[in-house]
Amino acid sequence: MSKELSRNERIKEASGYLRGTLAEGLTDIVTGAITEDDQQLVKFHGMYLQDDRDLRAERTKKKLEKAYSFMIRLRIPGGVCTPTQWLQLDRIAQDYANGTLRLTTRQTFQFHGVIKANLKATMKAIDTALLDTLAACGDVNRNVLASTNPHQSRAHKAALDLARSISEHLLPQTAAYREIWLDGEKVVGGEDVVEPVYGRTYLPRKFKTVVAVPPSNEVDIFAQDLGFIAILDDAGEVKGWNVTVGGGMGMTHGEEDTYPRTADVMGFCRPEDALAVAEAVVTVQRDWGDRTLRKHARLKYTIEDRGLEAFRAEVERRIGKALGKPQPFRFDNNGDRYGWVEGEDGRSHLTLFIENGRLRDIPGGPSLMTGFRRIAEVHDGEFRVTANQNVIVANVSPEKRPEIEALVEEYGLTSHATALRRNAMACVALPTCGLALAESERYLPSLVTALEERLTLRGLGEDEITIRMTGCPNGCARPYIAEIGLVGKGPGRYNLYLGGAFDGSRLSKLYAADLQHDEIVSALDPLFAAYAHGRKPTERFGDFVIRSGLVAATRNGRDFHANTGSLAEAAE
Amino acid sequence: MTGERFFYRLKFFKKNVSLTCSKIPRETQAMSAFALLPQTAPFGDDARLSLDRVLSAASPVQRAWLAGFLAGIDAGQAPLPRVDAPTRAAEPLTILFASESGNAERLAQDVAKLARKGGFKPKVVDFADLDIADLPKHERLIVIAATWGEGEPPARAARAYADLMGESAPRLERTTFAVLALGDTAYAEFCGVGKAIDARLAELGAVRTVDRIDCDLDFEAPAAAWIKSTLDAFAPIQESSDNVVSIDFGSHASTEINRDPVAAEIIEHVNLNSSRSDKETVHLVLGFDGAVPAYEPGDSLELFPENAPILVDAVLAATGLHADDTLRRVLTRERDITTLSVKTLEIFAAETEHAEVRRLLDEGQARSWIEGRQLIDLVEAFPAALTGQQLTALTRPLPPRAYSIASSRKEVGNEAHLLIAAVRYDAHGRRRGGVASTFVADRLKTGAATRVRLKPNKHFRLPDPSTDIIMIGPGTGIAPFRAFVQERRAIGADGRSWLFFGDRRYTHDFLYQLEWQDALKDGSLTRLDLAFSRDTPQKVYVQHRIWEQRHALVDWLDNGAQLYVCGDAKAMAKDVRAALVATYADVKALSAEAAELAVVELERGRRYHQDVY
Ligand code: SRM
Ligand SMILES: Cc1cc2nc3c(=O)[nH]c(=O)nc-3n(C[C@H](O)[C@H](O)[C@H](O)COP(=O)(O)OP(=O)(O)OC[C@H]3O[C@@H](n4cnc5c(N)ncnc54)[C@H](O)[C@@H]3O)c2cc1C
Ligand SMILES: Cc1cc2nc3c(=O)[nH]c(=O)nc-3n(C[C@H](O)[C@H](O)[C@H](O)COP(=O)(O)O)c2cc1C
Ligand code: SF4
Repeated sequence: MSKELSRNERIKEASGYLRGTLAEGLTDIVTGAITEDDQQLVKFHGMYLQDDRDLRAERTKKKLEKAYSFMIRLRIPGGVCTPTQWLQLDRIAQDYANGTLRLTTRQTFQFHGVIKANLKATMKAIDTALLDTLAACGDVNRNVLASTNPHQSRAHKAALDLARSISEHLLPQTAAYREIWLDGEKVVGGEDVVEPVYGRTYLPRKFKTVVAVPPSNEVDIFAQDLGFIAILDDAGEVKGWNVTVGGGMGMTHGEEDTYPRTADVMGFCRPEDALAVAEAVVTVQRDWGDRTLRKHARLKYTIEDRGLEAFRAEVERRIGKALGKPQPFRFDNNGDRYGWVEGEDGRSHLTLFIENGRLRDIPGGPSLMTGFRRIAEVHDGEFRVTANQNVIVANVSPEKRPEIEALVEEYGLTSHATALRRNAMACVALPTCGLALAESERYLPSLVTALEERLTLRGLGEDEITIRMTGCPNGCARPYIAEIGLVGKGPGRYNLYLGGAFDGSRLSKLYAADLQHDEIVSALDPLFAAYAHGRKPTERFGDFVIRSGLVAATRNGRDFHANTGSLAEAAE
Repeated sequence: MTGERFFYRLKFFKKNVSLTCSKIPRETQAMSAFALLPQTAPFGDDARLSLDRVLSAASPVQRAWLAGFLAGIDAGQAPLPRVDAPTRAAEPLTILFASESGNAERLAQDVAKLARKGGFKPKVVDFADLDIADLPKHERLIVIAATWGEGEPPARAARAYADLMGESAPRLERTTFAVLALGDTAYAEFCGVGKAIDARLAELGAVRTVDRIDCDLDFEAPAAAWIKSTLDAFAPIQESSDNVVSIDFGSHASTEINRDPVAAEIIEHVNLNSSRSDKETVHLVLGFDGAVPAYEPGDSLELFPENAPILVDAVLAATGLHADDTLRRVLTRERDITTLSVKTLEIFAAETEHAEVRRLLDEGQARSWIEGRQLIDLVEAFPAALTGQQLTALTRPLPPRAYSIASSRKEVGNEAHLLIAAVRYDAHGRRRGGVASTFVADRLKTGAATRVRLKPNKHFRLPDPSTDIIMIGPGTGIAPFRAFVQERRAIGADGRSWLFFGDRRYTHDFLYQLEWQDALKDGSLTRLDLAFSRDTPQKVYVQHRIWEQRHALVDWLDNGAQLYVCGDAKAMAKDVRAALVATYADVKALSAEAAELAVVELERGRRYHQDVY
């Protein structure tokens, strides 16, 4: 492993606190792109330069450069926004993006297809909506998630408050964002006080934080760098937080020293210490993280390399006190609970399934964009985006409820949300994602249809099984902690992973590689059959395949790549 | 068939006239009204006699007209005998023309040539340079005027035309004049400008020597004939013997540059718009083995299209002629089967006695009925079995379409590049396609052969290499500027160049984007401004960019920059001019009038060039 700093480190160093040549790049109108270095920097501002991969083949012949456009990701701690903000985002999508809103697996919105010429206008509009995109991407603490758990209003409020204060506290301080996008006052960067937490070069890699309220693990805490698990007293008040560290999904095909990892529970802290703990974990990773090799720079590898004990000790040293013993907690799922629920305060909440988080008006199908626009026009509560790419119409007053129910009907917002589909997630992948090896968002729906046929035949039509697909091994839809995981290997080919836990606490195992559509279906169908007959009452599919010896259990990251494949076949 | 034989005979007849007339003594002609044609004339007796009857009764002007007419029919065919005219005291004659794309100008030059031969002292004046106060000085006046836009004068002529129509126009009691109007029956205001000038001159007291002629796109023959007779009418009556022979029939074909159609091969054919675009703009590379038209940046090529086979069949079917393959070939290649004019309706009504059509004409609804309609609508709405001749008579010759050349020979050698936007639209419940543009887009494939003809435009030329240029060309208007930039790169011009381009969407309609990137890198393009109308909630057009950049723009112009506008004539060209006036008013703090004058100055100084359509 070379000791030389990775290229991104030099780019950050030279960027003058994330300025680079972004401002100049925007004035170069003959290209829709920006320089390679700026492409790295613009992520910290919440944007990615992409190109429409569907169009690549024809562009040069037509004397056109790649069909460049930007993906813009918002920072919305806990995924909470007001109806007014929803309407503003809807308008932006119509005016400057591709007419759709994309709900992400980290409780926020993405715009796709914003051309360079429209970036500033879009960013101004986002600012007018009192929202921002700062640190939505890049080597910093990203959007902070919080359980939506509507039926536990107070615990949820505490979780949301913590998520928000962590997000604020760890936000980059550089004035570059206002300067470049909002024509803010030019501030001469330079002094290190500009970034008290991060310093000139920020973090070695992206950093992700969540706050969970058991029994729901909807935020998939074990897939995150840093997590807080609410521990409630008998009155239902938060008496403190279990702290988790070192989770992550990303890996690279064929590189066994890259692997997904579930987070460890490091200890317990009191509510008033949570912020200090968060900052300490971040600064230790800032100083200990591997800045020479980006594939090895996430906190999960730091913990593997240094050991959890050493890491905890350093965190305790920095906060000047010891962490408590982890308190018991229990998660029972990592999905969403659909339909209406009553909150403790008499207001009610409606969780709506959005297939792969894509809000659009489907010709001949449900009109999601229009439907939610209409709801936003009458809604008197707020909206919450879940980590499963769904939406909660939250805090609906009794008066408004009938109106909203009517709109849900009118726009078919609950149509075709069958069991498997409700528990399915796909990442964006093609055509926008530059890293995609295979389709995902555009393909999973039809695969689910095919699988549901088989499940129904096996009498499992109503069973909840989590299935997640990604177009590459980066794991954006957290496929390695789903009961069924499908990870793109190449056009039309996927690796099939099995044995993840329904509550997101256990990684899955590679069951079969390079499967095409029919092979996926015929690989799973016998397993469904076996499950239908041999399962114990309430036994989950992910647990069943392991107990019945169809696939080996993965204890954690290090043995993720060990004894893979179908044990049944291995036995023969 | 019979028609063909008829022509054939007359050709001989014409030659005979030229010979015999110069032989036969005048007395003989005068006394014997019936012996104009010699026995030797290659005609049957009764044909000869009836011809004699017509000709001997005809006035010199009538005979000259007939001769010129017949000659015109054969213009461009076998070179014709030349006999020099007798010397005559040179009479001053002014040929005043209003031209946009050069036809009227070319005819004016032809007239001058002929006039000089005919013993006149011709002076060709461009409307653009006309000072209305001087008009009375031109006592013998031939006006050749084209109509543009929706019945408007050519851009260059606009100012003088307005003066002529205005209060301050001087009286013209001593002037004798004749007007040749150029136009296109496809337009509602057919020859509107020529007609207006003709009427106005008379109104100002001038005497009309010969009646105005209104020419359609196939103007060569009738124009030649009219010119001949008009020159004679202006001249003191001469021996009829001179009339025919003094026409230089060759002159229409032979101008400086060769305008004969040449064969070209399609080397490249690519739609530059992305597959996501709702537009279709074909980049067409023409290859010539050997005879490359000697084009300059700014020139156009006229392309000879073919009608869509489906449309031809539809027309044939509707008229009960689907079996006639000869006719099918003629309609496909040679006749304009889309344009519908009131004239067409009149012929149709006459031939078919269709009461409905007659009523449209009589009740003055014809014009509104043909709006947006084509021949196919006529023959389908009013079914009638026609003969091949009748159907052909309903159509005019298929005119070629002009396309700005988008390349410089210095860069592409013996190629010529065109940029052609497919015209497609719905009207009266029918999907319609522009004849030439869809011929190119849908049926001209790589490897295919086609015919083109050079259409020079000497009013749209690059200035000397050190002069700055400002190019405004949204949509296909960008074509000539690609040629300009190629040319300037090739010769290493040091003048700066600034391009304004616009279209619908940046990602899908940015024509030649990669090339502009290179041009900016290598310096052959100094500056680029873009206006894409469908990328933002509120539409942005080039005139908005002009306004945004007004200070730099005036700076360039004060620096002597030349300004070029190419593309849409209906809206863009006008909006750009308005933006320019506003720009001057704002930057130089001028009154609206003063600003307008500043722009007029640019136009008169030949620094504001337009090639719009
Ligand atoms: C939109 C989203 C998927 C979705 O369908 O919702 C997404 C989309 C992308 N992710 Fe992700 N990631 C998204 C959640 C995740 C998650 C899930 C999570 O964080 O809970 C993971 C796995 C957890 C983790 O970080 O380990 C994830 C792991 C990655 C990685 C691999 C990181 C690694 O350590 O190896 C990359 C690639 C990289 O960072 O080099 C990546 C990169 C990307 C990029 C930006 C591709 C790129 O770098 O050019 C994708 C943009 C696609 C597009 O066109 O929109 N994304 N990405 C999610 C946005 C979350 C957010 O709002 O911030
Ligand atoms: C000097 C010059 C240069 C030119 N350069 C170029 C060039 O570089 N590139 C280029 O693409 N064109 C150029 N043109 C225009 C070109 O010559 C043709 O006019 C154009 O391609 C349309 O010809 P067409 O035969 O396809 O359509 P036509 O068969 O001639 O039909 C055009 C007619 O269709 C009707 N029409 C069109 N659209 C509609 C509508 N939406 N609704 C109702 N009626 C409609 C109008 O009557 C219009 O006149 C140039 C023209 C000139 C005079
Ligand atoms: C954009 C455009 C608009 C025209 N408008 C008219 C018109 O309104 N009436 C008309 O009779 N002819 C019209 N014409 C036909 C021209 O008058 C005809 O082509 C003429 O030969 C052009 O002569 P020039 O080359 O001297 O300009 C138009 C031609 C073009 C290309
Ligand atoms: S998982 Fe891979 S393909 Fe899917 S969005 Fe993430 S990076 Fe793109």
